Amino acid sequence: MILLTAIATGLLAGWGYARWTGAAWQSPVFRVTWLVALGFLPQLLAFYLPSTRRLLTNEAASLCLIASQILLLVFAALNMRNPGMPLLAFGLACNLAVILANGGFMPLSTATASRLVSPTVLDRLVVGERVSSASKDVLLQESRIRLPWLADRFLPPQDFPYRFAFSLGDVFIALGTFWILAHGKYSDSFI
Amino acid sequence: MKLSFNQIAVSFTQINKTHLQFAMMVLTLVMLVLGAGAPEEVGGSGR
Repeated sequence: MILLTAIATGLLAGWGYARWTGAAWQSPVFRVTWLVALGFLPQLLAFYLPSTRRLLTNEAASLCLIASQILLLVFAALNMRNPGMPLLAFGLACNLAVILANGGFMPLSTATASRLVSPTVLDRLVVGERVSSASKDVLLQESRIRLPWLADRFLPPQDFPYRFAFSLGDVFIALGTFWILAHGKYSDSFI
Repeated sequence: MKLSFNQIAVSFTQINKTHLQFAMMVLTLVMLVLGAGAPEEVGGSGR
């Protein structure tokens, strides 16, 4: 959900700037958009649809995540000319790298989890297991995480009303998405 | 008069096509972002 705010703010920034300058904002145009649908499908089945995700083993869910992110990375590579797409692709590559290095899921350290959820919820989580069947994260001890600086280790300020942990890759993905939409299509004068 | 109706019909067709393209672009980005990102979200106040 938090990444979707990058889409909303990017759209607002693009429209707002276009209105301010009196120019027409144009949607960015992507090549091979079917590849995104194809790439997202495994994750839809493995993480988002309750009826299908409970049928899949952890290994199958992990394969779905990796295959999906590889397809999405191919899409990003084929659309690298869109402003912002290199940032997004870099973020995706960071996430894919840390997922591959840690057994097929995004690592979440016990220290980060303890700042994210209540002690009661934390007690129910098992180190080495996924956080939930809907989650791409696996709970690990900090010392056992490979590429720890790419893991879900960042949290919003304590006063922020919505709690989530995010990775460096997520930051680049959000920035790239914002840039793609704020820039729009072929608006050379902008940014 | 007939020309005006045709013009209106054409402009509605263009608007619909533009809207459809915009919706497809947003849907593409939503799928891309949800698939590429991996934040762990608790929502609400979390604790």
